[in-house]
Amino acid sequence: MPEYDVREIEQLVDGKLPWPRVQEIMKDAKDTGRFEKWIDILQRRVSWPERILLPLTPALFIVQKQKDRIVKCRCGHEFGDYRVNWKLYALIYVRDSEEKLAEVYRGREQPDPAWTQIREYYCPGCGTQLEVEAVPRGCPPDFEFLPDLDTFYRQWLGKPLPDEKEFADKTLDVIREWSR
Amino acid sequence: MSATASARIGRPPARKVKKPAQNLRKQLAENERLFRETGCLFGLKTLRRKQADPGTYEAVWHILLNTMDAAWEVGCKVSASPIAAEGGDALWGLHLPTGEAVCASKGITAHPGVLSIFIRQLIEMGYEDYPGIRPGDVFENNDPHYGGIHAVDFDGAIPIFYKGELVAWASAVSHVMDGGYITPGSIGFLNPDCFSDGVPVTMERVGEGDRYYPWYEMRIRSRTRVPDWVMGDARGRLAGCITIRERVIQLIEKYGLDYFKDVCREYIEDSRRYATARVKTQAVPGRIRKSNFKDLAMAGKRVILPHQHIDCLFNLPLEVRIDADARLHISMKGASGWVPFGENIHPSAIPSALLNAYSHIVGFDMFNWGSVATWNLETPPAGSWANPFPVNYYASSGVSWAPTVMWMSSLYEAFGRLYFARGFIEEVAAGAATTLTAEFSGTNQHGMFVAGLTLEQASNGSPARGMADGENSAWCIYTPNADFGNAEVLELYYPVMYIGRNIEPDSGGYGKFRGGLGHTAVWMVKNTPGIEYQCGCAGMRSKVTANHGMFGAYPTWPDRASYASGTNVKALIEERKPLVHERGSPEQPNLAKNIRAEVLETNVVAPFVTPHQLHEYDIIIHPISGAQALGDPIERDPARVKADLDAGWTRERVAAEVHGVVAHRNEQTNEWTVDEAATARRREEIRQARKARGVPFREWWKQEREKILAKENMAAAVLDMWRSATALSPDYGKELRAFWNLPEDFAF
Repeated sequence: MPEYDVREIEQLVDGKLPWPRVQEIMKDAKDTGRFEKWIDILQRRVSWPERILLPLTPALFIVQKQKDRIVKCRCGHEFGDYRVNWKLYALIYVRDSEEKLAEVYRGREQPDPAWTQIREYYCPGCGTQLEVEAVPRGCPPDFEFLPDLDTFYRQWLGKPLPDEKEFADKTLDVIREWSR
Repeated sequence: MSATASARIGRPPARKVKKPAQNLRKQLAENERLFRETGCLFGLKTLRRKQADPGTYEAVWHILLNTMDAAWEVGCKVSASPIAAEGGDALWGLHLPTGEAVCASKGITAHPGVLSIFIRQLIEMGYEDYPGIRPGDVFENNDPHYGGIHAVDFDGAIPIFYKGELVAWASAVSHVMDGGYITPGSIGFLNPDCFSDGVPVTMERVGEGDRYYPWYEMRIRSRTRVPDWVMGDARGRLAGCITIRERVIQLIEKYGLDYFKDVCREYIEDSRRYATARVKTQAVPGRIRKSNFKDLAMAGKRVILPHQHIDCLFNLPLEVRIDADARLHISMKGASGWVPFGENIHPSAIPSALLNAYSHIVGFDMFNWGSVATWNLETPPAGSWANPFPVNYYASSGVSWAPTVMWMSSLYEAFGRLYFARGFIEEVAAGAATTLTAEFSGTNQHGMFVAGLTLEQASNGSPARGMADGENSAWCIYTPNADFGNAEVLELYYPVMYIGRNIEPDSGGYGKFRGGLGHTAVWMVKNTPGIEYQCGCAGMRSKVTANHGMFGAYPTWPDRASYASGTNVKALIEERKPLVHERGSPEQPNLAKNIRAEVLETNVVAPFVTPHQLHEYDIIIHPISGAQALGDPIERDPARVKADLDAGWTRERVAAEVHGVVAHRNEQTNEWTVDEAATARRREEIRQARKARGVPFREWWKQEREKILAKENMAAAVLDMWRSATALSPDYGKELRAFWNLPEDFAF
């Protein structure tokens, strides 16, 4: 089983590793220590102290903050409990007219705004475009990934996390709160 | 399925039949019991042969793999149609006596699933008992009611006997050029019902003694438009199967029957273990959700029956839950209703779609039936496009792949996210490209009536990777062997000339890493009294984009085609004036700039069939999509943007406005230079502009709720889609209403 130096993984992540070497890594058996190295790289790149438990996207991480597990942007902006779709605490801009769509898609490249809307989710802290959705009106935002963190850490990595949390989607709890 | 199916077959009640020799049906049940009780396929808790002699185990696997690829080579060479002979749209396989695929050739990797299910159905329906399974028999199926995908994919199998015992099956599938549909060709999106799905071969013995029955050939001759090609492909399938049989018997004689039987089962269990281990060591347990949608806008276009003048939007939802044992629980809850077009699929074909995706992204080592045992697929909602027959037994499956491959595309992104979370960035793939097909029908330059598919769609861009752009025109969702064929060869079959085949700028979405770019074919009609162009749907979007804005990228644009008929091209050629070789600007296309024509369409919503024949010097511009991008577009390395500008693969507007890259072109050298300071300033302005125009989600949620209640700016197709999706999956509807705080009795 191969293992790679963390500096080589860092080059891989940054797209700086020569393509033939990337292909070798792709073809070979996977290294068992990758996750730890990955977290190490990510942790070194953020300025805040909370422990990264799992990256969700290049900009968003689930972190341990005291007894809570929250979604946090690399810029430091916090989105709350990881079991609630973080999009509920993002900024959103929706392209649902020809004029708004034309800033991205023009002429024959433009979708029909009566059939679909382009939703852009931004980080309120740094303005990073975190996710884009292309869905018809009425579609709830995708909660792309709700990890079962305790199963992952306890059973798959053999390193249980403190303060186990119920594995449940809490998004509708927030919606109910908003609906009162 | 089997009880209903058996009843439909009908058996002569009084006829005495010979008792089955092996009782494969009993063996099937035993296999299932062993898996249920041990969690290992065939109860194989240890891989005895592998452990005892891993070298021979691997060697025999590679002999089998080479045998399959030899069958593919032989079969494609014997086949007649360009789709098999030039494009290799086919597959050959080896199966256990009970149907599970052991090994497959290159080609269309969905089919080991369909072929396994086909053989399994033969057994479940009691064919061993009646009509019997004998050496030299040839069985075929293309009927979606019995597990086929669509009628033009002919699934075939021959039993392999050794010293009187059925020890394996050889199988084959090829996509024939004409299915005998109402409209010529093989992409039957227009078919309104199964009665228009062409020539059926329903779980039949179609030959014996390694020959097709004469009546099989007579049916092909009377019910398809290009029978020489269709029969040539049938012989190709059989030739490949015989190749497998002969080589497998040689292998058994060398290694022994017991060894052969043991390793075949071990290869399948080994594959199951590989796919499970890959999830456990490279993914993360939890729940993934991905919405996706596809349109089929047919109102006002040429259709077959009047009730087809409608616009449809498909809901293609994917939910995957990965449990502690790394088992996947896959749901299509929320899938919208069946459609009066050829875009419905039998649920038993869906594992094949999943196998296809697995062949790319999860279980590609020792690829076979084993992956199927790593997931539970919830039966799709009855009456949906993914399970139409309980509600409409006559729904059409003319090109049932169309919504299914687009649903499957979500699995690429889903696994991309999982691999990203775990740090295997080199395995991350964004979503797939679409499949917009081009078919021609009419008399070609040899005076032959032709109907069938070009191969353009088999060369999309590949999805963006976690750390690199996708590759241009080098990938195809339904086969790992993307190949759009040689233009010169296709010109021999069809009465068209390629006057362009170009990489299409900006066709891979906009992101930190873009998808591989697609290409555009430009054809001039030549040497024919007239042809029809069918811009078909085998998985395209034309009104909407894919929901693949992974990590903040913009998805690829919708598929739109162009054509011109009654043109001045002949005069332009004689005058040596510019023609049209590429699409050009999306707002000022080259077709409109350079060509005059009686009919000139530069932005046609696909799919469609030209309403009239095209003639000499008419022009068709057919785009093939790139794949999806990944990451915030303003994080794209300016050096990549410059490289794309230099190559003509992106446009200045996109570079400046979407990527925030300020660059200047040197008029003499045509080379671009990036102004790095101005680029940094532009990108900061874009970030600030986002923060200024973005609204807190909660505020938008309130406003959007009112618009949903008022059904504001929602096309009829959108409302129809939500009506059927929420009715067919009440839990899905309940959650949707709860999210928007809509009344419980709210209906779209």
